[in-house]
Order: sequence, then C-alpha cells, then structure tokens
Amino acid sequence: MENTSLAHHLILAGLLFVLGLTGVLVRRNLLVVYMCLELMLAAATLALVAFSRFNRTMDGAVLVFFVITVAAAEVAVGLALIVALFRRRGTVQSDALNTLRD
Amino acid sequence: MSLIFANIDVAFKALAPRSSDWLSIAPEIAVAGLSLFCLLQAMLLPANLRWLISATARTGLVLVMAMALVPHAGWKLTEDVATFAGLLRQNLPFEVRLVFLFSALLTSFVADRFLRDRGAAVADYHHVLLVVTAAFMLLVQSNHFVTFFVALETAAVGLYILVGYLRKSDASLEAGVKYLVAGGLSSALLLMGMVLVYGSLGAVGVADSLNFTQIGNALAAGKGSALTLAGVALILGGAAFKLGAFPFHTWIPDVYQGAPTPTTAFLATASKAAGAFTLLLLVTGPFVALAHKIAPLLAVIAVVTLLVGNLAALATTDVKRALALSGVSHAGFILAAITAALAMPTVTAFDYNAEQTIVFYLLAYIIGTFLTTQALASMPATEDHRRPLLALRGLMRRAPILAGALGFGIGSLAGVPPTVGFIAKLLILVLLVKAKLWWILGAALISVAVSIHYYFSILREAVVRPTEDGQELAPLEVSFSARFVIGALAAASILGGLLILS
Repeated sequence: MENTSLAHHLILAGLLFVLGLTGVLVRRNLLVVYMCLELMLAAATLALVAFSRFNRTMDGAVLVFFVITVAAAEVAVGLALIVALFRRRGTVQSDALNTLRD
Repeated sequence: MSLIFANIDVAFKALAPRSSDWLSIAPEIAVAGLSLFCLLQAMLLPANLRWLISATARTGLVLVMAMALVPHAGWKLTEDVATFAGLLRQNLPFEVRLVFLFSALLTSFVADRFLRDRGAAVADYHHVLLVVTAAFMLLVQSNHFVTFFVALETAAVGLYILVGYLRKSDASLEAGVKYLVAGGLSSALLLMGMVLVYGSLGAVGVADSLNFTQIGNALAAGKGSALTLAGVALILGGAAFKLGAFPFHTWIPDVYQGAPTPTTAFLATASKAAGAFTLLLLVTGPFVALAHKIAPLLAVIAVVTLLVGNLAALATTDVKRALALSGVSHAGFILAAITAALAMPTVTAFDYNAEQTIVFYLLAYIIGTFLTTQALASMPATEDHRRPLLALRGLMRRAPILAGALGFGIGSLAGVPPTVGFIAKLLILVLLVKAKLWWILGAALISVAVSIHYYFSILREAVVRPTEDGQELAPLEVSFSARFVIGALAAASILGGLLILS
C-alpha cells in the first residue's frame, strides 16, 4: 500500500473509464456495449475506494455498496431486455435496431 | 467522559436536528406501500376482481395527494431542516410532490385499458409505476449524494422496465434497450462526477464531502479544484439527460416513440419534472457558489434546447415523435426558468418565484400531454409506435370527444389563450423579462412561433381534413375512463388558467 499513491489508482480508474466509454461509443454488439457500461461503473467504484482510503473518510466505501447493489439491479433488468430483444429479433447488433424512425 | 458525550450530542444535533423524522416522508412511504399492495392483490385476487388493483392504486394516489390539504402536517415542513442524518432536506413544497403524484395518477388511467387491450399485466405495471413515483419524490428532496444516487437509479431501472414493458412488441423492446444504454451511460458519467467531487473536496478536509450542505459550504469557501469542476460538470450532465436538454436529448425521439403510450406520457412528464427539480436543487443548492460559471452555460443550453426540439419536430410526420421533440423545447422553457432563478435569485413573475413557476409550468404540461396521450391511446392502431398524421383524418366525425381532447391538449401545449399552457408560458416569459435574459426570451418567442405551426398541422388533420378518399370510417368507441380523463383535464386546462389569474 505504501508504494502506491492516490495518483496511481486514479490513473488506472481513468483508463478503465475511458476504455468503457470508448467501448460504449464504438462497439456494435449490445452485450459488449452493456459490459462497457459496467466497466465505467467499476472504474468509478475504484476511484471511490481509492479516494475513501487516501482521504480517510468512510463515506466513499459505504457508497460503493450502494453502487454495487444498484448495478446488480440494473444488470438484471438490462440483460432481461437484451435477451427478450434477442428472442424476437435473433440479433443483438445495434445496427439492427431500426424499427424506430420517422 | 460526560463532556465527550455532550460534544457528540452537539455534533449530531448540528449535523441533523431531526435524525429520523419518518413522518416527513410519510407520502413516499405511503406510495411505496401502495406499490407492494398492488403485487399482493395480484397474488390474492380472483380474475373477476382484478379491476380492484388499478382502482386501489388510484384511490391511494388521490389520498396521498389529499395529504397536501392537511394543515400543519409533519410531511409539509417548509423550513430548511436536514432529516435522517442529513440524507434528506425538508424544504420541499408539497406542490412538487403533487406533480409526480398527478402524473402517476393519469398514467394509471391511460394505462389500464391500454395494457388490457394488449394482454399485458396491469398489476406489475402499477407496481413499477408507483415505485418510480416514490423514488422521484425522494430524489427531489435529497441532500446527500447517496440518497441522490440510489433514488435516481431506482427510478431509472423502473423506467427501463416501463419502456420495454410490451415484451411482444419489437418497438417497445428496442426503445427499452436504447433507453437502457443511454440511461446507463448517463448514470456512469453522473457517478464519476460524484466521485470526483467527493474525492477532491475530501482531500481538502471536508468531513462529509457527499453532503450537499457541506459541498455548498466548501465551494463557497473556494476549496474547489479543477477536478471538482469536472465532477460538477458531469453531475449536471446527468441531470440534463433526465430533463432531455441539449446535447443529451438525442435518445428522446426514439424512446418516446417506441415506449407504450402511457409510459411515453409518464416519461415526458414525471421524468422531465424530476430532471427539472434535480437541476434546480443542484444549481441553487450545493453548486450555488459556482453560479457565475454555470449560469452562462445554462443560458446557452436553454437557447439551443428551445430551438432544436421544435425545428426537428417540423420535419416529422409521426404524432408521438412530434410530441417527443416538442417535449425537448418544453424542457428548454424549464431551463430558461432555472437560468432566470440562477441569474437573479429573487426574480418573480406575478409574485411566483422560479420554483413555483416551474411547478405550474409542469402541471400545465401534464394536462396538455395527458389530453393528447389519452386521445392517441383511445385510437386504434395496429402498432403503438406508428401514429402517422394521416391516421388522424376524419377524427372529428369518428369520435368528436377525441378530437376535442386533441384540441384542448394541443392548445395547452402550444400555449393558446385562455388555456393553462398560455398562462404557464407567460409566467416564464415574464420571469425572463424581469431577469433581463433577452437572448433566451428571443429564442423562447421563436420557439413558440415555430411550435404553433406543427401543433396546428396535427389539429388540422384531426378536425378539418376529410378522410383520404372521402370514405366514412366507423365511429370510434371511447371508454368511460377515457371520457372521464378527457372531461376532467379539459376543464382543468381552462379553469386552471383562470384560477391562477384571479
């Protein structure tokens, strides 16, 4: 613990966050996009734990539990929607989502 | 030793004078309890008594709304006092809760028949609807980022379910997935913003840097760094997403078009209201010290939002899509009021402050939206997401009451006197004049002028134009509950405007 600083943790969290964001914007497979969204949440969680540890306040660590719980609920609903869509369309490519237009 | 305990006691009292004041969130508890009761009824009631489910939900919502009438009640605290160890703040006027309750009540009326016609479960819909309503009501009184995040996400997850509710419809599922990805992205950005604010303020010695009051004090003392500013920007972006403000409005047309029509109305009203009150709460609460940086940004966003929605709506031929895009420019009006509140905190329009003006604007928007939505939901459509303008032709002959609903609803949305929508728009324009925000005022006037064009093209199809080849279509049957909603809302759209003037 002594040889890593707050900056190390933040840089890693930042990299993961940008990686997730890039994935959301670039990838076409909805499952991969959804995993990238979860990666962004995980990156925020990592930064939260690091701040909590180095600022010596517990609030961040407590918020992590809430974030994980909320993310679990979100994944349950999200995967259900994606699976239901796959059953009807047979694909989860975002290019195929073209029912809604003018 | 006793001195230490006395000090701890003082510290607790300073942090939260009323640590667990359950009475202050009685309306939220009642709505959450009601939502569980819906599930219980679905389990226990025989098929021929299932109609009781939506009936109890509506009665319950009306009773919770009636709680506003009780004088000096524990849930009507208007003093600025933190409860639950600073998690919640109790200076919320009851009218703010009324916006969400009213929207949920009307959604229940529209949804009941709509869902039964499509063979979807009514009880589960009401359950999720009430959970989301309770979450919104908690969200707008949060005083801590933990409450804020949990309430916001509870509402968001519920809304994903409501948007993708029709599992047998491609459009509903597609809208659900699109909303899921857009919403997930906004929550991830919002969370990162919260983390940056928490970390950067915690590093300079703020004890609880997730608490709005302490964030506000720290920012006022100039303790914010560049990292804090980045966090604030991300958080405001998340709130702007809920409101549907530029540049976070791109999800709106697709999601509103594909969602089941009752959900579209709920998204347009309750979700937009939540975004509006959240944004107001944040910019006038914890981030008020940054007002000189936020106000110009909000002004630009308000101008663009006012124009972009209406200009895009000109090009569309789908009624649901047009209403979605017009909702974007309604969000622009609300943003304009927030900007006015931020530029001149004491500005009032006819003795109404910015918050009351926004509440009134939202109530008028709810009336207009639900009149239009009820008319659409009562019309037959092979696919719920295809509501072309042409399908409205001959409506005046087929079902005069639906054409009337469109008339009152669209009149109110467009802001035609003497409807309530006109008064609402007028209040915001007066607010802008008093705050001397001429650019926004100009954009608002252009926006109204443009909107009248497409609003009335919808009305023209419904009222004036005969059917395509002159053939007579069979008259439409309109259910009793639809007649009731239309009658009540049409009366409200006229009387509401007159009441506020007198």
